Amino acid sequence: MPAEVKQEQSPSNATSLAMMQEPQEVVEETVTIEEDPGTPTSHVSVVTSDDGTTRRTETKVTKMVKTVTTRTVRQVPLGPDGLPLPEGTSPLGSYTDSIDRRYLKNGSDRFITPQATSTLTRSYNNSYNDSYGETPESQYIRHYGLHDGYADLTDNYGSLSRGVNYRPPRYPYMPNSYRPENSYTLPIRKDDYGHVAQPQVPMGSSTVDLNRSQPERFQPEPYGLEDDRRSLGPEEEEPYELEPDYSTANRRTLPGANRGRTHREPLRDGPRVRGYPDDPIEAELIDERHPYIHGMYSAPLAQPERGSMASLDRMGGRRSPSIDSIRKDPRWRDPDLPEVIAMLGHPIDPVKSNAAAYLQHLCYENDKIKKDVRQLKGIPVLVGLLDHPKSEVHRKACGALRNISYGKDNDNKVAIKNCDGIPALIRLLRKTNDMEVRELITGTLWNLSSYEPLKMVIINHGLQTLTNEVIIPHSGWEHEPNEDSKPRDAEWTTVFKNTSGCLRNVSSDGAEARRRLRECEGLVDALLHALQSAVGKKDMDNKSVENCVCIMRNLSYHVHKEVPGAEKYQDPSALQAPGSAGPQRKKKDDAGCFGGKKAKGRKNGENDKSYDTLDLPKRTEPSKGFELLYQPEVVRLYLSLLTESQNYNTLEAAAGALQNLSAGQWTWSNYIRATVRKEKGLPILVELLRSDSDKVVRAVAIALRNLSIDRRNKDLIGSYAMRDLVSNLPSGQQRPAKNLEEDTVVAILNTIHEIVTDSSENARSLIQAQAIEKLVAINRTSQSARETKAASHVLQTVWSYKELRNALTKDGWNKSHFQPTVTATPKATKNGKPGYDDTTLPLMEKNQDGYSTIDQRDKDCKYKTGDGSVDLTEREPLKNDTNRKHYIRSNRPAVSLVDACDVKPQPVDSWV
Amino acid sequence: MSFVPGQPVTAVVERVEIQKLRQGENLILGFSIGGGIDQDPGQNPFSEDKSDKGIYVTRISPKGPADLAGLKIGDKIMQVNGWDMTMVTHDQARKKLTKKKEDVVRLLVTRKSLEEAVKHSKGCYPKP
Repeated sequence: MPAEVKQEQSPSNATSLAMMQEPQEVVEETVTIEEDPGTPTSHVSVVTSDDGTTRRTETKVTKMVKTVTTRTVRQVPLGPDGLPLPEGTSPLGSYTDSIDRRYLKNGSDRFITPQATSTLTRSYNNSYNDSYGETPESQYIRHYGLHDGYADLTDNYGSLSRGVNYRPPRYPYMPNSYRPENSYTLPIRKDDYGHVAQPQVPMGSSTVDLNRSQPERFQPEPYGLEDDRRSLGPEEEEPYELEPDYSTANRRTLPGANRGRTHREPLRDGPRVRGYPDDPIEAELIDERHPYIHGMYSAPLAQPERGSMASLDRMGGRRSPSIDSIRKDPRWRDPDLPEVIAMLGHPIDPVKSNAAAYLQHLCYENDKIKKDVRQLKGIPVLVGLLDHPKSEVHRKACGALRNISYGKDNDNKVAIKNCDGIPALIRLLRKTNDMEVRELITGTLWNLSSYEPLKMVIINHGLQTLTNEVIIPHSGWEHEPNEDSKPRDAEWTTVFKNTSGCLRNVSSDGAEARRRLRECEGLVDALLHALQSAVGKKDMDNKSVENCVCIMRNLSYHVHKEVPGAEKYQDPSALQAPGSAGPQRKKKDDAGCFGGKKAKGRKNGENDKSYDTLDLPKRTEPSKGFELLYQPEVVRLYLSLLTESQNYNTLEAAAGALQNLSAGQWTWSNYIRATVRKEKGLPILVELLRSDSDKVVRAVAIALRNLSIDRRNKDLIGSYAMRDLVSNLPSGQQRPAKNLEEDTVVAILNTIHEIVTDSSENARSLIQAQAIEKLVAINRTSQSARETKAASHVLQTVWSYKELRNALTKDGWNKSHFQPTVTATPKATKNGKPGYDDTTLPLMEKNQDGYSTIDQRDKDCKYKTGDGSVDLTEREPLKNDTNRKHYIRSNRPAVSLVDACDVKPQPVDSWV
Repeated sequence: MSFVPGQPVTAVVERVEIQKLRQGENLILGFSIGGGIDQDPGQNPFSEDKSDKGIYVTRISPKGPADLAGLKIGDKIMQVNGWDMTMVTHDQARKKLTKKKEDVVRLLVTRKSLEEAVKHSKGCYPKP
C-alpha cells in the first residue's frame, strides 16, 4: 500500500487513530503505459493512497521482434550460378533489393526507383506468396514498366550493380525464373543480396521454397500496423528501407527531388547508380513519368506505405549489413532527422506517411531520437497530420506519436499535449473506423495517461468520447437492452485494452478525476458489464479485465465521502460510543457466532434469510451509474474474480475494491461488509492470504481489517483467519517462506491488531496460532521500525487481557516480552491504542450469520455475477467452491482448536 | 516444509525409534497423529504451510514410548519403517504405525526446531 496508508496503519502514530477509525481505503492505481505492441511496454503502477501520494513503478518489457530471423538469410551465396552478373542485372538487382528490405538498405539499389516500386508492390502483397500469386514475372513486368519510363534506369542499374559491388548474382537465391529477367541480378553486395534475394524470392514465383521460408518469418510484419509497431524492434534498420522509398518518391514525384533529394545522398547515388541521370534527366523522367507516377504511385503508395514499413521491419534484423554497405558506399546516406521531419510537410502524401513511418521506426526504443524529434519541432507536425484526410497519413503519424509518447521522458508527452495533440487524437478517434488507427490512438492516449499532469487533460477532452466510442461498444453493455437479444459479451480487443488502460491511469488522479469518471455516463455500467461478462466466460486473466477492475477499485475509493448524497447514508451508529452499539451486537453474537458453532447448518440458513429480508435496502428502481459501485451485488463480482482469476493484479485490485467499499462508516459499507460474509467471501479472502503474491496478501489483509469493523466478521476472522495471518509473519529465525515486504508485514500486523482488539477470544486464537513467538521476534529483532512498532502494539493488546496471562506465562512468556523494545517509541504506541479502540467499534449489527451463512443452498451459486441479489443456481460452482466449503466446515472444529470456542476435536486424530 | 508433489524434498530429519508398549492386547506408541491427504490441511495447527497434508504428531502421552523416544508434538512424520508418510491418507498412516507384527517403529521425523537449528547454525535471525 502506499506509504501513506502504511503510516496510517501503523498503530503507533497519532495518525493511526484516524486511520484506524476509517479503515484505510486504498486507491491503487496501476498505470500501464503501452506502446506499440511490438514495443517494449512500460508498466507503471501508481499507487495512490489518497489523492495525494503516489508511488510509481515502471517496468519495461521488451517484446521480441521477429525480424531477426531474416538475418540468417543474408549471406546466401549469391550465385548458385556463381554469377557475378553485374551486367544487365541492374533491374533485377533492384528487385532483389526491394525484396529484401534489409538489402534495400544496404544496397544503394533501393534508391533506384524501380526497386522502390517493387518494394511497394511487395509490401502490398504482404502475404508475399499469395499476393504474388501472380507470377513474379508479372511483378517484374510492372517494375519494368516503371523502369521503362526510366528506360535509362535499367542501364543505370547495371552500372550500379557493378559499381557497388560485384556480387555474384543473387540469382542463386532468386528462383530461376527470376534469373532470366533478373539475371541482370545486380551485383549487389553479397550480404545484401543474400538477404534480399531470398525475401524477394517469395515474391517472385521462382523460388518458392525460399520464399516460403522467409515469408513465414516475415509474415508478422506484413500487416501494416503491426509492421509499424514491430518496426520498433527493427527500428534502426528500417530507416534505411524507408529511405529508399522516400528517395524514390522524391525522385519520381518531385522533379526537383525536392528537399529530400537534395539533401539526400541517396539521390546522388540514384543518379549514378541507377542511372538516374543527372538532374536534368531525372526531371525529364519525372515529367514523363508523371502519368506513371500517378498510376503507379497511387497504387503503390496506398499500399506502398505499408510495404515500406514492412520492408523496414524485415530489414530490421539485418541492419548491420546495411549499415556496412552504407558505410562502404559513400554516395549513400540516410536522411537525417531534420530531413525526415521536413518530409512530414512534403506536398506528396505518401512522402508524409513514409516519413512518419520512418520516424516511428527511428523512435522505437530510442529516447534520444524521440528527444531530437521533439527539439526539432517534429511533434506539432505529426499532430497536425492527425487531421489529414488520408488514412495512411494519419495512421502513420499516429504510429509515430505512439512511439514518441512512450517512455519515461515526460517532456515528449507534454509536447504532444502542448500542441493540442490530445484533442486531435480524440477527434481522430471519433472520425475513424479503422481499427488499426483506433488502436494507435488509444495506445498513444494510454501512454500519455501515465503522466500525472496530463490525466486531467485527457479526462477533459476524451473521457466521454473514449467511453462512448470504445468502452461501451466493446463492453457489450447497452443502454436500453433489447429484451429480445441476449446480453452481449465484452470483446477484449486491443482498443478496449488500451482505452481501459488509459482510463485506469487517469482514474488515479484524485478526487476530481474519480468524480468525473463516476459521473461519466455509462462508464461504470459498461465496466461492470464487461467484468460480469468476463466472469461469465471465465476469462478473467487478461489485461482488459485487470484494467477494468483497477478502474473500479479506484472509483470505489472514498465513495462514502465523495459520492453525491453520501451524507444521507452516513451511519449514525458509527458515531455512537461502543457501548451504545453493545446491545445490538449482543444480539448478533447470540444468533450468529456462537449459534453458528453449536448449531448446524440449518440455523444459518435462517439467518441468511432474515439477513436478506432485513438488511438489504429495497430499491425502487435499478441502480445505475456510480451507484453500482457500492451496491452489494458487486461483492459477488469481486469475489468471483478473487476466486477465479490467476492474474495477481486483478486479484489485488478486486481485494482492493472490497477494501475500499468496506471502509467508511456509511450504510453501504455496512451492507458490503455483511454481504461479503453472506457471500462466503471471508474464506475466499483468507485463502488468498496464502497467495504467493505479496501485494495480493497485503490487499487481502487490509480488506480483512476493514471487514472486521463488522463485529461478526471480526469474530469469524479471528477464528478462521488467524493461522493464515500468522503464517505470513516472518518467524524469528527465518525470513518468511515467502519474502514479504515490510508493507505487507505491517499490514498483517495491523490487521491482527484490529482483530484482537476488543476480543480476548481472538487474542486467544492468536496465542493458539503460536504467534507470540513470532511477534516477540519481530518486536525484538526486526530491522524495520514499522514492523517493530506494529508487533509491539499487538503484543501490548494481548497482554492487556489479564485472563490470558496465565496461559502466556505457562508458555514461558513474561511481561517483558510484551513491552515495547527500547528502540520502539513508547509514546507512539500509547497514542496508538486509543485509536484502535475507536476503530474497533462495531459498525454492523444486522448480520447474524457468520460463516454459517454458508448455508448449503448458496454454495454453488453464490458467486453468480448476476445482477440480482438472488443467488443464481446456474452459476457453475466455482472451482474453489468445494474446497471452500470443506474448508469452512472443517474449520469449525479447527476454530475450536483455536480455542475461541471450546470445542476441540480435530476431525481425525488417532492414537497409535 | 512445503513441497511440490513430484519434486524432491529437502528436510532436516531425525530418526526416532520407538519401542511399542503392550497394553493389554494392544501395542501402543503413545502418541496421536493428525493429517493425511484425505484430511483438511487447513486445520492442522502444526504445519507451516497450510496446504501441507502430511502426517503430524498431535499429542503425546507423557512418559509413553513416544515421549521417551523423544518424539515431540508437532513433529511431521516423513517415514515409518521406510514407508513414505507424506502422501498417505490418515488411515494408511495409522495402519503403518500400528502393525501388530512389529514391536518397533522407526520414524523419520522433521520438526521446526530442527530446521531452525540448522538455519541458525548458518547464521540467521537470532532467536528471540
